[in-house]
Amino acid sequence: MEIPYEVTPRRDTGLFNAKLGIWLFLASEVMLFGGLFSAYVFLRVGVQEGVDTPWPWGINVHKDFVYLGFLNTLVLILSSVWVVFAWVALKERNWRKFQLYMYGVVACAMIFMVVKGIEYNSKLNHHHGIKLTDNSVMEGTIVHGTDKIDFTGTKFTFNLQGGLPGFIKDITKDDVGFSLEGEESVEFANAAEVKAWFLKSRSKVANELALERKRYRSELAVDRDSAKPVSVNTKATVIAKGPIQMKANPRKVVAHSATSLSYKDGTSVEGKLVRDAVEFVVHEVDMQLVLPQNQRTSIVWDVIGDEGAKKQFFDAQKLRYDELAEYYEKRGKTIPLSTMRGYILNLHPVHIGGHGDDHGDGDHKEHGKEKKDGDHHAGVSTHLSEAIPTADTESAGSEEGHEHGGHDEHTISVPRDKIKFMGNHGPRYGNYYAIYFTMTALHGLHVVGGALVLLFMVVFGKKLYLKNPEHLANRVEVGGLFWHFVDLVWIFLFPLMYLL
Amino acid sequence: MAGSTTSTDFTKEKSAYKVVMWSLFVCTFITLGLGKLDFLDFGPPGADWVDILVGISLAGVKASLVSLIFMHLNHEKGLIYKMLLFTLAFFISLMGLTLFAGSDPIVEQYETLQTTKGNLTETPVTND
Repeated sequence: MEIPYEVTPRRDTGLFNAKLGIWLFLASEVMLFGGLFSAYVFLRVGVQEGVDTPWPWGINVHKDFVYLGFLNTLVLILSSVWVVFAWVALKERNWRKFQLYMYGVVACAMIFMVVKGIEYNSKLNHHHGIKLTDNSVMEGTIVHGTDKIDFTGTKFTFNLQGGLPGFIKDITKDDVGFSLEGEESVEFANAAEVKAWFLKSRSKVANELALERKRYRSELAVDRDSAKPVSVNTKATVIAKGPIQMKANPRKVVAHSATSLSYKDGTSVEGKLVRDAVEFVVHEVDMQLVLPQNQRTSIVWDVIGDEGAKKQFFDAQKLRYDELAEYYEKRGKTIPLSTMRGYILNLHPVHIGGHGDDHGDGDHKEHGKEKKDGDHHAGVSTHLSEAIPTADTESAGSEEGHEHGGHDEHTISVPRDKIKFMGNHGPRYGNYYAIYFTMTALHGLHVVGGALVLLFMVVFGKKLYLKNPEHLANRVEVGGLFWHFVDLVWIFLFPLMYLL
Repeated sequence: MAGSTTSTDFTKEKSAYKVVMWSLFVCTFITLGLGKLDFLDFGPPGADWVDILVGISLAGVKASLVSLIFMHLNHEKGLIYKMLLFTLAFFISLMGLTLFAGSDPIVEQYETLQTTKGNLTETPVTND
């Protein structure tokens, strides 16, 4: 059966049907992405420096990805041009050229997604932040596995209902064996055997509970007062024959002390806390949530334990302050409060064990040059200006730096009791990362979907081309419109997410 | 447009597409410069509303080029314009809804904190 208006336009609309359809679809897409852009604007405008979560956290780390975003922009523009050239090639009845351009578009889509994958992997696996109890933040990388709680367990008590007890997955060395408390004849060679026993016992306990409830209901029906309550032992304890090494996942642990671990699922472990610190490679210190007058006494400096790093931070801050003061002084204005509390003044790279005279930023634009010390605050009246330090008032500190219990001179040891929050630069890290991942992932899905449709047209389109080339041209035009829309969305995402 | 364009027209269109492509590349380089180059930093040092305005305007120019030339909106049928105008109006009115956030008591609390200047506390200040 011939479907009408696939090639020739309808008289009333002046359009072939697929074209009208794709524009309606694109209108709905505008609303979808429009809603997300609106959420972005809402979240961003709502940020209040020094009070709210900074936008974004770890801005310098994030700005490492600008060039990847830039590369992806160029790739998408090129693909947009090629898809329109592919359509022209069909109109000119040049199948070879059409194929070439279309495969080029699909290759661009693949490059785009690979670059995005590199970026996601880097954010999720190699960039972390630790917020300390006074709200100072260190950006850098958590040494793999050190965020876990190092513990040796000897006695494990857990529920025989629900999911697998949390401790089982956290055991790293279990060659000494276990026995069941109260029934010493029941022994387990390792955690895997405990797991198997748990699964078996869980079904048994479930059956016992069902029977007991049935009995209780029947007794209730006969005599309410003499009915014996349901009583089934749903707890079990296994004793290790020696210390069992564990690396407990802090997200599953609700509390821990020098002798115990308590999991969220009700499991408790008795034993000994071996180590309770996170190894961290610091790249920068973020003081946006610490009042300027408290920044010098922040616990972050105790944790970092390097006077040289502290000096770098405050020297860089002073430099930025001078630039800003000069700018606003010329205009007879004071530095706005939001700027005083924002990242420009309060987020700077530090190099542990490095020299205190390194102001290198690498990601900030270098505004102005070094100025003479002295009257850099003159004429700038801001209630916070006294909190901004000068290089003169800051002690030179140790040029050498020192190790702080870490793996090398760049690694520090962060006591867990000083940590308020730690995590990778994933969606949990803050509003910016949440909206970033939502929008870029949705856009990525559109790239994949669009590329698949275009690939289908070039791989399976020859038959239609030979039968009715104009029909295929119309299909490519429609697919191309979608592809241009994907490009349009990225055109706005790039400056909003990466640059501004 | 479909089936109505002659071979000569395509030559003209192809050169137009190339011009647009280079314009888009240039605009992208300028956008990158906004974030990276000192002399393209408008307004106060660092990213601020002036830079955002320039960046978004550039993105607007790029988006216009793509939609007008690549998506052929410079010579499209009236029905599509009407449809897009309706979408635009609907979108703007939805964006306008965010203005109601101005009367959100949570925002008010943060503003109260802001005015405490140097004495910010972690506990939100309430009005009662």
